[in-house]
Formats: sequence, C-alpha cells, structure tokens
Amino acid sequence: MFKRILVANRGEIALRIIRACRDMGIEAVAVYSRADRDAAYLNLAHDAICIGPEPAQLSYLNAAAIISAAEVADVQAIHPGYGFLAENPTFAQMCRDCRIEFIGPSAEAMRMLGNKVEARRLARRVKVPPVPGSPGPVANEDEAVAVAEKIGFPVMIKAAAGGGGRGMRPAHNEATLRTSFRNARAEAEAAFKDGSLYIEKLIERPRHVEVQILADQHGNTVHLWERDCSTQRRHQKLIEESPSPQISARTRAKLCAAAVRLARAAQYYSAGTCEFLVDEDEDFYFLEVNTRIQVEHPVTELVTGIDLVQWQIRIAAGERLKLKQDDVRQNGVAIECRINAESPDDGFRPCPGRIEQYLPPGGPGVRVDTHVYGGYVVSPHYDSLLAKLLVHRGTRAEAVSSMRRALSEFVVQPVKTTIPLHLALMEHSDFVKGNVDTGFVERVMTAGIRGPAPTQAGPQPSKSPGAN
Amino acid sequence: MQRPASIEKPMDLKQIKSLVQLMIENDLSRIELREGDTHILLRRGHPGTGNPAAAPPVVAPAAPVAATLPPAEQPAARYIRSPMVGTFYAAADPESKPFVGVGDEVEPDTVVCLVEAMKVFNEIKAEISGRITKVLVQNAQAVEYDQPLFEVAPA
Repeated sequence: MFKRILVANRGEIALRIIRACRDMGIEAVAVYSRADRDAAYLNLAHDAICIGPEPAQLSYLNAAAIISAAEVADVQAIHPGYGFLAENPTFAQMCRDCRIEFIGPSAEAMRMLGNKVEARRLARRVKVPPVPGSPGPVANEDEAVAVAEKIGFPVMIKAAAGGGGRGMRPAHNEATLRTSFRNARAEAEAAFKDGSLYIEKLIERPRHVEVQILADQHGNTVHLWERDCSTQRRHQKLIEESPSPQISARTRAKLCAAAVRLARAAQYYSAGTCEFLVDEDEDFYFLEVNTRIQVEHPVTELVTGIDLVQWQIRIAAGERLKLKQDDVRQNGVAIECRINAESPDDGFRPCPGRIEQYLPPGGPGVRVDTHVYGGYVVSPHYDSLLAKLLVHRGTRAEAVSSMRRALSEFVVQPVKTTIPLHLALMEHSDFVKGNVDTGFVERVMTAGIRGPAPTQAGPQPSKSPGAN
Repeated sequence: MQRPASIEKPMDLKQIKSLVQLMIENDLSRIELREGDTHILLRRGHPGTGNPAAAPPVVAPAAPVAATLPPAEQPAARYIRSPMVGTFYAAADPESKPFVGVGDEVEPDTVVCLVEAMKVFNEIKAEISGRITKVLVQNAQAVEYDQPLFEVAPA
C-alpha cells in the first residue's frame, strides 16, 4: 500500500481524497495555487506545496509542476480527482514514466475511451449502440434526408464543430429538415467557420442515466448500479439520484450489464462511469465513458455503502476487489444537490466573494461534502461548486422531504447560491413524481419558477462588509 | 512547507499604508491599533513639537509581531522567489562556488541559483537589482512556487 499520495486537485474533491488517505493511514500531500494558499483543508494534509500562481493553466493544469512536487515530496502515487488533469492520458503516462503510480485507469484505456469515434466503435462492438446517426458529416440536403428516413424522424441536425448544446436544430419531417439544414449550414459557417453537419436521431425527453463501474487490475469488474442525472441545465448536472425513479428493474439490469461489457472490452480498471440516454420506451443509447471519479460519486457511496475513493487507491496499489456483484446492493434512495456560487436569477452568473455566514444542514441521513466555511473566500479562478448536499433515506419520498429540510437549513451568506433553485425543483411536482428528463430544468426556468424567498431557519445575517 | 498547527496572521502592509494615509489626510500624530496578537503603533511628527507635518511618520510595530513576521509577506521586490517547485542548488555543480552569496550585487539577469525539476536544471535569474542580504534556503533543499530564496536590499 502507498505510504504517501499527492492530491493533484483542489477544493472539495481534494478534501475528499485527503480524508480517504487519513482513513487508510496514508500521508496525503496537497498541492495548491497561490489563490488557495489560505484554504483550511490544506491543514488536514500531511504536507502542502505551492505549485504556481492563480491561473489553473500555471498551477492545477501544470503537469510539470505537479510531478516536480510529487518528486520533491517523495510520493508513490498521484490522485488526480476530477477535472484538471484527471482524464489527460499524457499526464497519466508521465506519472508512470516517473515511477509514480497514477490513481486511475491505464493511459491506453483513457485515450481510447476519451476518443469519441473509438469509444462509439467499441460500444457498437459490445452491442451497446450509441445514438443512431450518420457516420460522419453529410454532404448535402438529400443525403441528410436519406439518413433521416433510415433512422427515423425526428432527427437532430448537429454542427460537427459545435458541442455542449451549440449548433443543434431539430427536424420532425422532410420539409423542416430541408429548411433547417440550409439555415444550420449558414449558422455553422458563421459561428464555427465550419459548416459540416451530421444527423442524429432526436431522443425526445431523454433521461440521462449512468452506471458506476469499479474494476481491479486482475480482471474483476463490478457495477455499483446507476445514477439518474436528468436534472441538468446546459449539460451541467444540478441534481443526481440513485436508484433512477424512472426505469424498470429490467432496464436497470440491461444498463448495468452493458456498462460492465463495455468496461471489460476496454480492459478498464479503477473507478469509471458509463453514461447513457434512455428514451420514453426505455430503449437506451451509449453516450460516453468518464474515466475518472465523478463529482456525484457520493450518491453511489451512500446507496451501496462502498467507499469509492478508498477502492481507487487500493486498486492502484494492486489489490484485488473484495466485492462480488451479488454483494453490491442498492439500499434506500440517495439524492445530491450541487450547491454552486451562482445566481440562477442572473443567467447563473458566478458569484465569487467572501462567505461571511455559513451554517450547513445536518441530522439523520444528511451528508455535506465541502471545502468551504465561514470566512472562506470563493475565488473567481476556478469552478463555482461550493458544496455537495446529499441525503440518504429509506424511500424516495423521505429523501425528497429530508432534502427540502436540509436545503432550508442551509445558510450561505452573502454569496448568491443555487440553494433557492434547488428548493424550487425539489418542490416541483414533476421532480416529486420522479418524472424528469434533461429538458426539465430549462422548461421550469422558462416558465419563470424562481426559488421561494429563502425562509432560512438560521439567524438573520448581520451586516456584512465586502458583500458583492 | 510543513503545515503549521495554526496559521500565523502576517502583518498587513496594505493596512499600515492606509493607516499612514489616514494620518496624513487627517493631520493625526498618533494611531494605535490592537487586533488579537497584532499591535501597531504609528507616530507622526517630532515628539513634543505638536507639529505633525514636520517629519515623515514612524512605524513602530510591537516586538512580538516583528519577531514573527514571515519573510513571504514583505514587498515582492525585496525577495527573489522561486518561480517553480523543485530542488534548490546554490552552485552550478558540487565542485563550484555558489552563484551568489551575502553581499553580492545582482542585476536582473544575474543567475542566482538553479532549481531542478524533473531532472531539468533551470537557471533562476534575480529579476531585480540590489545586494544580497540573506540566503534563505540551503543547498539541495526542496522549494515550492513563490518561496523566498534570497533577501535583497534594493539598489
């Protein structure tokens, strides 16, 4: 087992990794940029090394600085967390070339699954087909129509150079397809300087359901069931839960089996997640594989009782998975709300600044994963995630009720957060019924549902200087 | 780099500068500020003359605070700081004399040391002009980004 691990990340996930190390008696070495030098979580590490100035490019994304710190601190392994260098196969290889273990999959598996074309090819091979569509860009309108007729309307016209929701137009029949195609081409030329378009089946009201995988370096692969992450906005997840309230046991079994097939075919080891889109008929389509620990991993930890970060470390150290698939059960229901320092009323504008008052919720079934506290300064240099608020209860109704309680206990002032939005979503009848697709949040926000005036259970915040 | 059990609060030079400004603008002769373990006393003008404009303000920090002033909190220009994480080497190789020592004059382009990272030895330049007054690290010591290496009296 490793004696010392370098945590190549920041914020809540760095703290999560430090805690796993402390649980296991491993020395954690944290790295930080100048912007994070006063962060209190650094004091929980055995040692902390400043690796660069505020910009991520020069610090948390600076592979040379991180590996230099690893050498200077004499660590045996590096945990990359999520984001930053976590899915960078060059970095993973660099670590191993420097005889430092990278806590994650092989660089080869990471590279293959990170390549959209290769991943989709692998998915088809193991009978987990991706969303049907044209193999590549279509030359013209007529070809677009031919593809659409083959895969069936409705379809989505997508700009090859687009992404993250940009450059997409739906078409429900041939006439619309022809008009939209011409417009989409012009738009793509203007926006991306690349007019190539391809055609994909339009999944209406899709659910985003993903399966957690854990595999060791000895060929043992298990799934840890699914998470439903349909409550998202512009492809950013807001709420995640397990089990998914909107798939049958049969679909669940098929999804999980598909994820395991995929992981085995890629010779994947460590923790990873297979993402799928599920339509209203419960047909599902492969989206992509995330070759890292994910933000929402605690949802699975609560429902299965399995410590994913500890297992990542054990797997990297060469240990065998002690888990048999039959031992992995889903107990109760877990829901996570991502609390961001953003103003939903203001286009989700990030709201950095100093947190003057911080009162987290607690009590039965409540888990808060966070690096923030009263006096913490939210910096503008990194993402706006403040805290992950989770509840775990016996039934979904109880979980929703406890989440409402926890959200209304949560005081973060004066920084604006997404807490009021989460409260509104948690009270929305669609969410309560468990009937949520990836368009849910946009529809709710367009209809103008804002958060209720926060009826915070805590004391009124005193006048705070420096409020922004 | 070992994390202290508690974080020592450094003296805030920005705060002192704004106190000095406050004194000048309001024609004050004395300001005393206590905050936790920090004690700042500023006097302005000749004692006993009652004429505050006669002399520049005098900063007189209480002794315990001065003793615990971490060098990293001084104005950047007076320190040569490491631009990277790595291992500090005072000389070009084990046989040579150190690049610089106490009393040496440096120019911005003067190579003052090496910092080794991932087997690459990087020459570190002074970036300022002045005279080395202190060498703050030892040969073969691990250094982090921004760590003060040399104290410099500006030219």
